[in-house]
Amino acid sequence: MSLLAPLFLAALAAIALPFWLHRLQTESSDRKPFSSAMLLETSEQRVHVRKKLKYFTLLALRVLVLALLAFAFARPLWTSPDALPGPAPEGTHVVMVDTSASMGRSGVFDRALALARDAIDTAPRGALLQVFGASADLREISALSSDRADHRAALGTLTADATRLDLGRAMATIDRLAASMPAPVTLHVISDLQDSGLPVRFSDLVGQNINALRTHGAAGDEAGNWSIDSLRTAAGAVDVVVTATGVGAANASVALTVNGTSAGERQASGPGTTTLRFDGLTLEPGDNRLRAELAAPDVLPIDNVRYHVLSNEPPAPIPLLTLDRGGLPVTYLSAALHADPRGAYRVAPAVIGDFDTRTLSRYRWVIVDDIGAIDATLETALDEFVSAGGGLLAFAGQRSASLTRMPLLGNEISGASIGLAADRFLSVGQVDTAHPLLADTAGWYAVNVSQTVPVRPATADQVLARLDNGDPFIIERRIGQGRMVLVAGGLENQWNDLPIRPVFVSFMIEAARYLSAVEQRQREFAAGELLPLAQAGAASGQVVDPDGDNVLSLADTTRAQRINLRKIGFYEVYTREGEYLVAVNTDPRESLLAPIEAATLERWEAAMSSAAAPRRETAVMEQQAPPYELWHVLLFILVLVLITESVLANAYLAPRTSGEST
Amino acid sequence: MAGLGVNRTTARELLQPEVLSRLKNLDLVARSVVEGFLIGLHRSPRFGFSQEFAEYRTYNEGDDPRFIDWNVFARSERMVIKRFLGETNSHLMLLLDASASMGFGGPPVTKLRYGQYLAASLAYLASRQHDAVGCMIFDEEVRDFRPPSSRAGKLQSVLHCIDAAEARTGTKFEKPFDKFHEQSIRRGLVAVISDFYCDIEHLFDAVRPLAWQGQDVVLFQVLDEQELNPEFNANVLLEDLETGQAVEVAPEFMRDDYPARMQAHIDNLSRAASGIGADHVLVNTRDSLDNALRNYLLFRQRRQ
Repeated sequence: MSLLAPLFLAALAAIALPFWLHRLQTESSDRKPFSSAMLLETSEQRVHVRKKLKYFTLLALRVLVLALLAFAFARPLWTSPDALPGPAPEGTHVVMVDTSASMGRSGVFDRALALARDAIDTAPRGALLQVFGASADLREISALSSDRADHRAALGTLTADATRLDLGRAMATIDRLAASMPAPVTLHVISDLQDSGLPVRFSDLVGQNINALRTHGAAGDEAGNWSIDSLRTAAGAVDVVVTATGVGAANASVALTVNGTSAGERQASGPGTTTLRFDGLTLEPGDNRLRAELAAPDVLPIDNVRYHVLSNEPPAPIPLLTLDRGGLPVTYLSAALHADPRGAYRVAPAVIGDFDTRTLSRYRWVIVDDIGAIDATLETALDEFVSAGGGLLAFAGQRSASLTRMPLLGNEISGASIGLAADRFLSVGQVDTAHPLLADTAGWYAVNVSQTVPVRPATADQVLARLDNGDPFIIERRIGQGRMVLVAGGLENQWNDLPIRPVFVSFMIEAARYLSAVEQRQREFAAGELLPLAQAGAASGQVVDPDGDNVLSLADTTRAQRINLRKIGFYEVYTREGEYLVAVNTDPRESLLAPIEAATLERWEAAMSSAAAPRRETAVMEQQAPPYELWHVLLFILVLVLITESVLANAYLAPRTSGEST
Repeated sequence: MAGLGVNRTTARELLQPEVLSRLKNLDLVARSVVEGFLIGLHRSPRFGFSQEFAEYRTYNEGDDPRFIDWNVFARSERMVIKRFLGETNSHLMLLLDASASMGFGGPPVTKLRYGQYLAASLAYLASRQHDAVGCMIFDEEVRDFRPPSSRAGKLQSVLHCIDAAEARTGTKFEKPFDKFHEQSIRRGLVAVISDFYCDIEHLFDAVRPLAWQGQDVVLFQVLDEQELNPEFNANVLLEDLETGQAVEVAPEFMRDDYPARMQAHIDNLSRAASGIGADHVLVNTRDSLDNALRNYLLFRQRRQ
């Protein structure tokens, strides 16, 4: 016995109502004035008890009415004990049909369905059957039962999709399911049996709960496939990589569109891999939709199209607070950020005395080429900016050497250390490469340092790099929601040669990424992969699939963490951090149509037969007959009870209506 | 009495409560009751309640000169007083309970209205016999009081006092009896008209001093038919008119147990009254008033 809508059982609380009414009833007799109750006192208790007993049947009937009503709405299900089968002597036959993208070849999927029907029909009488569809995930198509007609009908719901089948993952999943099936379990794998579908380790193909494996190859002798493997963007151009296998000497036309507008057409020649360059693209600000389509007669059309998202955001200005707009620090910093292939930022120099601190909130991060040059007003503004979540990269230039306390950080500065190393150069001796700011940088040891501003680190500071004499060179501190990075040297190329070292470029690129707190989003996925909606820390939002439909329900827009990308094309993602595009393509491995070698298949089948563990006799419910719904039976009983209640209540009521005193 | 032109059947009808309830004037009610009662009364010298001549008595100083028979004085020059049968020259004090429980009953009349008829009739009857008549209306307190007097016009005052009584609040016998005990000097008749829903011990604690003082006490217990023989066919919540207490009772109880309890209460009251020499008269508001008057006269007769 189970309930389809158990929440309706909450209505059982209404049973309190008849109890309340009956309690009132004992107090709600007709009130009549009487001269004196002096002689009536002793009759009360006895009458009360008798009355309760008298109405108990009526109360019970009313409670029963409400309980039946609540149970009827809860829709109880009853499964006949006769429908519970014992261990099936003929075991279980599981049919797994490959629905991956490669099955979309003409004729292959029809053959697969025919093979599946054969597997169902040839299974021993009395055996239990179940059908699964397998691609990026494993889907139950029919319930475990011996009804062959059901399974054959369920096959009609299967279609090839755009995702990839990993045989190793599919076998692991179905092996877990087989553990609860009546033994022996025979698995029929009906697939085009691509070699690219095999896992890296052969052992991943072998389960412990499947007693026998029968592979059914659905691929025919189809050959000749063109596919677009990738789109790569570089310096305003796009390279389209086209691969042709089994086509002999042939040509194919590749057309590229940008935001629906044709960007040219190129010819690819096979066999082999060809890279076609499309340049002179007209891009719009923001995300651009690139679609490359290959026009060639081949067996698998789904991989002839490839989608790509090209971001064309203009560089964001980063304030560089300096005393001299034409100074060397401005030159060095501008050059370093200009070298960023993403082109995300450009330096916007501003003289410290003229800078409007109210504009700080427009920026994610700020650079100060000499922290010692800022005044108290700017110091306060920067402190508030960083506390609110901004990033600050500060260098301690010559103006900082005269200070005894580092602005913002408050660290003590020992002036005696200035010029200490004038007789020889120091170098960076210790770098925290585990820190994200310095993880992708190299060449620190080549930096020569003649003078520094010796900052004594506080307990809240994290020293990212030290000189070989032990003095801190790069310090980081979290201030409120933001962070500040201090380099204990200037950018004038006088105290050190950091600005002219290659490491300075990578340092600035990483600093921009780190201090702006913007993570790089993945813009390209293979069909069947999961799109994390919390990439930038902001979960959920809305996603529109390539067909223009909303993927998330209203409730999921606030709680979904990821979605499954099953269609190829462009997905529009809307989150609290903004909107962006995601391109979804078929996995290139689906375009590799070479089948698994026969020897490998034989080894696989043999390994499955020998690896199966001795199975216990498991009593598994055969879901052959749907459970019987009891609500209409309950309603029928309810009607009978209501009639009885009416008759009984009327019998109680009759003397009361004529019970006026005479 | 036949000269009144009223036959016996018609006279008895005048004593029925439902007939009296149509008369708004209590004076007229009392007059109708007494006249009707006297018409139907069997004439007997033992009763002697008419204005029939009985004897002459020598006039003594202090006698009321109005009763000197001047005809005898003219013939014999002796001053004698003319006396009539039934004339006792005593006084009657009426104590009428006007508590809320007396408002119960009917139709045709409530217990209080019936008690008013009875009190008025007794007052009229006593006045007719030249007895001094007074009255006291009480519930928990003494609400109105008329000291006994035989002066002309006093009857109207007493009847007005009785007529103005309205049923309300509870019942306490201690205060009215204490007040009466303080003010009564002469011996006489004391008629207490009530339903006597009270503790009998407490009641007679109040009545006993009067009896010991020499007062002749008669307790008229006025009850409605619904109190004596209640009829309920279903459970009913009965609400005490005085206390507001509600008691749910079953028809079986009201049919079997309650009458027995009521009879026990009446018997206890009657027994206690006998114990102090008082008289107890049970009056059903459905009955005509002659029965009550007859009992009163019998009691009065026994006292003479």
